[in-house]
Amino acid sequence: MALAREIYQALEDIVGKKNISEDIGVCESYRSIASQTSAHYGPFDHWTPLPQAVILPGSTEEVQNVVRICNKYKIQFKAGSTFYATMAYIGSDYAVQLDMRRMSKIEIDAKNQCAIIEPYAIAAVVQAEAMKVGLNLNIPGVGCSSSTLASTSGWAGFGPTSIFMGASGENLLSAEWVLPDGEVIKTGSAGAGAGWFCGEGPGPSFRSVFRGVTGVAGSMGVCTKIAVRLHPWPGPTFLPSDGVLPAYKAVLPDNFKCYTLCFPDWEGWTTAAAIIHENDVLYLGHRQYNMFGRNLKGAMIRILTDPEKQLCDLPELLEDPELQKQNESMKLEFQVVIAGMTKKDMEYKEKAIDEILKLSRGWKNEMMLEKDVHDWALLYLLRLGHKNLNYVLCGAYEGNFGMSSNLYVTTPLMEEASALKRKWEVEATAIAATGGDSEMGSISGIGGGGVTGWEYFTNFDAYDKDSIRGTKEFFDDTQRWMTEHGLGGDFSRWNTECRREDSYNYTQEEHDSFFVKMAQPHVMAYQWKVREAFNPNHLGGSYYRTLTPDKVPEGK
Amino acid sequence: MFDSMKEKLATIVGADNVKDDAGILESYAKDQSFATGIRPWFVVKPQNAQQVQDLVKWANETSTPLVPVSSGGPHHKGDTIPSVPQSVIVDLSGMNRILNINRQQRMTVVEPGVTYGELQEALAKEGMTLSMPLAPRATKSVMTSVLEVEPRLNANHQWQYHDPLRCMEVVWGDGNSMFTGEAAGGVKDLEKQWDAQKWQVSGNGPNMFDFLRIPTQAQGTMGIVTWASLKCEVLPTIHNMHFVPAKKLENLIDFVYRVIRLRFSDELMVMNGSYLAELLGESAEQIQQLKAELPQWVALVGVLGRELLPEDRVEQQTSDIEEIAQQHGLKMVPALPKIKGDKVLAKALNPSKELYWKETAKGAYQDIFFVTTLDKTPMFLKAMYELAEDEGYNTSDIGVYIQPQHCGSSYHLEFHLPYDPNNALETAKVKRMFEKGSELMSGLGAFYARPYGMWAKLQLNKDAQSYNALKKLKKIFDPNDVMNTGKLTV
Repeated sequence: MALAREIYQALEDIVGKKNISEDIGVCESYRSIASQTSAHYGPFDHWTPLPQAVILPGSTEEVQNVVRICNKYKIQFKAGSTFYATMAYIGSDYAVQLDMRRMSKIEIDAKNQCAIIEPYAIAAVVQAEAMKVGLNLNIPGVGCSSSTLASTSGWAGFGPTSIFMGASGENLLSAEWVLPDGEVIKTGSAGAGAGWFCGEGPGPSFRSVFRGVTGVAGSMGVCTKIAVRLHPWPGPTFLPSDGVLPAYKAVLPDNFKCYTLCFPDWEGWTTAAAIIHENDVLYLGHRQYNMFGRNLKGAMIRILTDPEKQLCDLPELLEDPELQKQNESMKLEFQVVIAGMTKKDMEYKEKAIDEILKLSRGWKNEMMLEKDVHDWALLYLLRLGHKNLNYVLCGAYEGNFGMSSNLYVTTPLMEEASALKRKWEVEATAIAATGGDSEMGSISGIGGGGVTGWEYFTNFDAYDKDSIRGTKEFFDDTQRWMTEHGLGGDFSRWNTECRREDSYNYTQEEHDSFFVKMAQPHVMAYQWKVREAFNPNHLGGSYYRTLTPDKVPEGK
Repeated sequence: MFDSMKEKLATIVGADNVKDDAGILESYAKDQSFATGIRPWFVVKPQNAQQVQDLVKWANETSTPLVPVSSGGPHHKGDTIPSVPQSVIVDLSGMNRILNINRQQRMTVVEPGVTYGELQEALAKEGMTLSMPLAPRATKSVMTSVLEVEPRLNANHQWQYHDPLRCMEVVWGDGNSMFTGEAAGGVKDLEKQWDAQKWQVSGNGPNMFDFLRIPTQAQGTMGIVTWASLKCEVLPTIHNMHFVPAKKLENLIDFVYRVIRLRFSDELMVMNGSYLAELLGESAEQIQQLKAELPQWVALVGVLGRELLPEDRVEQQTSDIEEIAQQHGLKMVPALPKIKGDKVLAKALNPSKELYWKETAKGAYQDIFFVTTLDKTPMFLKAMYELAEDEGYNTSDIGVYIQPQHCGSSYHLEFHLPYDPNNALETAKVKRMFEKGSELMSGLGAFYARPYGMWAKLQLNKDAQSYNALKKLKKIFDPNDVMNTGKLTV
């Protein structure tokens, strides 16, 4: 049903005629195809529902008034900023979409190392502003073109620099939030007007309501401003880039080095990662280029660092003996960036890397040390601006497996997981054959090390129904394998409890049927109580997982 | 009623663990702060999580307020004394097992009664250590210390505000029991989780709600934590403490900002000479002597090496920090007159002797502490000194401690006011100083993140939305208001 005229008029009165639309063409553009990069939901062959209207608020006050109208008329709403994943989109027919692009302010407090930002401040711009004063931020895997506020407050937020800077949730200081009922709250020190430096307290922290192991994916009101902690950037006041697309590179001073550390076996790999977790050596640690697949990564790096080459050169490059040698050299590898805060600090870190390699029987890959390749990798990893390359093989990808727990448990299983993927690559036609092992991700998903943040990249064709169906079957198989090995939920299934396959919200009965089986169902029962307290009209959709408390089995 | 209560409590924790002797009850009715308490009805000492859960369920059935206490006395913040009549003290000091130590994962799991001395000794045997608050009381519970987010000395390793705290088992105020963080994602049995190689490393969640942030800074008002997992560090093989003296606090500000900005140092803190003298002095006389000899202000800089190239790291960090000091017109030295770095390190990183060091100078003290940013600390200091002069309190007696937190994004600022409890005039003066100073600091923008006693009113009255949200959370986890009733309220 269309919005009643008085409702539309009320919304228009809040944001102005130019900032609201119910034009079918505009509204259609705010639907997400769930067949690809839904982080992590799908692949399904359908689209999210059509919003009743798209609204572009320009201030916290406007957001608050829109939310009040939604409460008055029981209209569901969801705010999105850079719309990378399906979680930013609505899940019911009677809903409006908020697009936060008009709110993009950035304020840097250089002395106290934080940035106060609005929803549409993308990471690339925040980074550029921070670098002007010798600071940098954790850019998570979603890449630099995405909203920093969204990944910090709304979702997971680990990435290459998390080992040094902490994951995004760890960097969240105070936040301003329009609650689902229309009230505005500022968390921590900002609530009392003391500044944005602390997101905790007074007493128990209210941020508990919207930022657990992940954020609430837009299901509990609208975050309108946050402060994020920034970290040292011992480089120039801008990130110097050079080269020709796609071989952009960063020419940085000698206090930045990017190495690809390689190992003879997973035991050596694990040893190196564990030592890194215990010592403050890295600025950045990530297994990045294996996302192209174990068999393809060397050739893909050659293509991407040479503007003369194209994807059609791939078959020829794969036959190159020298490239084969390099590819074999970095079969089991990860990338690191070390950054010297001083000359002596750099000398120490260089020596430490050599010592780690000695202890883990590892080596540095030679090809990745070539000047052009090195500088390309530096820019890639420090800025994460090459997100387009995730799609380059087949037009779509999705992450799966996601063995992000104990390093010593997961690394011995890597070859088995890779063999399972390889089997599907060879025996089915749904997913790209990249060599089985396409595991990539953070050396640490939390600051200082301890938990990894990994996924396997699976490339497929998002516009081919057979490929979508086949990929889903593969993911079902990997979930089976994960369960068999006690590894929990497959990465590709993270959000399948949040939205139905037809992309609509789950009912409470459906949620209850899932969560009643949990080993500790009180988790979801308390989330039910939290939703009832702060979102009494249930306007945020079913991303907030809940279990009706009286369904918790006796004795649990 | 009293007898039937006692009988019921005895069935839960055993008759030997229910106390109602007048002397014992009196000892739980007051602490060393200016807070006024009410004598509890009973003190019970549960021995395991099941008993704790049974106690909380009983409290809900009988509308009996429970006050959880884990540390031994003396207490100083008013949070462990009952605010309402007919309360039951839940003394958790008997639950004092170290449940697990895992060197591979650098994790340990402890019960509430474990003290720093006990834990550090056990960890050292496995080549590990836990980050420390500054010289805690000998009887201080490690768990209480991390739950109340006492500032740690190693801000550069505090990626999370609550580090080193990770997962927990909580009996909420409604009587339900669950694990939090990664541990809530599996079967509710630690042994089985360990068998499956799950070591309670990741503390957030386990889903979209962050349960860890409910019992923290809560003064026991939300539930009772029966174990907690803690992230440890590898034991250093070299560990040095250096000093950067200065005449004024302002002289140290940019130096500290620079050191923390570059992520140098392992411990970093600033204190005035009075505070350092109290930390180091073994007697009131010695403290007076030290105050005369020590610099007015000093930044303490710890540098360590662990297993990977320890000498190289220590040499690099020391050299670079020395250079930063020079760039700021300061000098970093390995010792102060008569005070070597080793002595300060030993004092700072170990539990206090039995007589708490903060009580050595005059027998009692009152602290005012809050969270702020480093650039604002001179403003607070000036105001506090002016107040002291107005009140006739000797400014040279005021100890000042500034501790970076959370990679330097915020700072703990503490004013320490020692006094002689046997001198009624001085006691009254410090009480006035505390009350007026707390209000003064609040007016200047102090953030009482841990709002003990009168600070709850000062802080929560500034922010109606946060207080309303807090009340809603309290209603969810402690619907009958049985957990430390009367705390964290306006």
